[in-house]
Amino acid sequence: MKLTELFDKGEFVVTGEIGPIKGAINRDKSIHPTCAKEARTLHGHVHAVNVTDNQSAVMRLGSLAASVALKQQGIEPVYQLTCRDRNRIALQSDLLTAYSLGIDNVLLLTGDHIQLGDHKEAKPVFDLDSVQLLSMAMGLRNGHDITGHPIENPPDMAYGAVVNPNFEPLELQLLKMRKKIDAGAEFFQTQAVYDLEVFETFMNEAVKLGVPVQVGLVVLKSPQMGRFMNANVSGITVPSSWIEEIGSVDKDDRKKKAAEMMGNFLRQVKPMVQGVHLMPLGWADVVPSILETAEISIQ
Amino acid sequence: MHATIQKPIQEIVNYIKPGEKVFVVGCNNCAWKCHSGGVDETKMMAERLSRRGVEVVGYTVPGPQGMSLCKLDHTEKVLKEEFADLVAKADSFLVLSCGQGVHTVIDATGGGMVHPGCDTIFGGETVSATDIEEFCSLCGECVIEFTGGLCPMTLCSKQLLNGPCGGAEKGKCEVDSERNCGWVMIYERLKKLGRLELLDSYQKPKNHAKWSRPRSLRVSTTEATFSSQAGKVTVSNQE
Repeated sequence: MKLTELFDKGEFVVTGEIGPIKGAINRDKSIHPTCAKEARTLHGHVHAVNVTDNQSAVMRLGSLAASVALKQQGIEPVYQLTCRDRNRIALQSDLLTAYSLGIDNVLLLTGDHIQLGDHKEAKPVFDLDSVQLLSMAMGLRNGHDITGHPIENPPDMAYGAVVNPNFEPLELQLLKMRKKIDAGAEFFQTQAVYDLEVFETFMNEAVKLGVPVQVGLVVLKSPQMGRFMNANVSGITVPSSWIEEIGSVDKDDRKKKAAEMMGNFLRQVKPMVQGVHLMPLGWADVVPSILETAEISIQ
Repeated sequence: MHATIQKPIQEIVNYIKPGEKVFVVGCNNCAWKCHSGGVDETKMMAERLSRRGVEVVGYTVPGPQGMSLCKLDHTEKVLKEEFADLVAKADSFLVLSCGQGVHTVIDATGGGMVHPGCDTIFGGETVSATDIEEFCSLCGECVIEFTGGLCPMTLCSKQLLNGPCGGAEKGKCEVDSERNCGWVMIYERLKKLGRLELLDSYQKPKNHAKWSRPRSLRVSTTEATFSSQAGKVTVSNQE
């Protein structure tokens, strides 16, 4: 099921996210990797689950293999594909492969730089940027590869993109967003936001572009995590008020607190957006209460 | 200019076999600016090697200050005529220059054995006597008309052509919080120039065949031909 069909119907689209394991899927089908277990926890509460592509440039199980594994279990994946590790030949081939294996949704991104990951001496590829990747993906849908050669049975998948509302200067990020839309982006998932005012300023401009936006939320699990993200995760700022609030309760009560904080924030931003993208980072079990607090339920 | 930095002395010493006679060659242009192979450093390298038991038969830095080692006719003249006797005694040449200079010594000595004394690190601007900064990646297909002269292939860690990624924070790159985001620099410059509209157009993917190696250039006073895996391109400078 393409997410664009849900947006077209006016549904508030809810997606979750899992990170593939560092390792392979066991051939004993009764043993499920942790990421599949997380996806099953999300199932029924979200429309689809993003599957990250060697996120933070840390080498893991491939996003496509994990996406297909979810699809086989009846969970709709959003296959993430980045420009970091593949040239235009590999990107196009992977898009054709994804469609051939039943993938309906792809999130097309630049990807975190190799220097942020665990293979710092690897050669960064970045043959294309995310705008060029979107343009090339649209070309495949329209029946030709990037060189103009016709292709057989063109793939038909929904193409999503990302945008960072926290970026300064915002005008420059909006310029990139416009280029992504012109190239073929059909929906956006935002980088994690925690500041209502910052997000409102962004949405006041983004709404004019007429493409559905899902607000991105990373579940804040502890004050340490907030401080860690501020120091190490690019493009995300966790305000001190959030760090203090999650730290105001004992460890045992943090899941409940996190659900309440994320849920309340989501309830406030809900009227501005067409969906939410929840990144629970291992705490998939708090997603139902976040959605409940925000008064969101999927059809 | 080609920025170079000397290799660790022990690494250089390890290249040289026992009893091997070495002639040291420096460069009076780029390596001189980098203090990696000018007159002083070349003389010093000869002494440093001697102190470590290497037999150095001679050394030179061809030409006046500003002369490049990679100018083959000049280097050949110096090594084959001026230093012919010492060069004849040498088993190998330790070259304190960029990789182009090392190859020039191979050509100038009729295929002599060479050792690189430097790592060639980038092509740069000599911003001051102590600072060399990289602003061009020598990619063969210049896009900086659209970016106010600032190269995104060089200043953006991900070499993005259509605007920034989402990773920069407070104008700093996600790879290095000490370094400015190339795209924020481009944006600020074009804003100041009142030319932000230059960023609106879609920049198509690079033709990496123009960045293939090895490439060559044939020049005359009236035209030049650039050869790469993208083919040959001849441009006149007359019309």
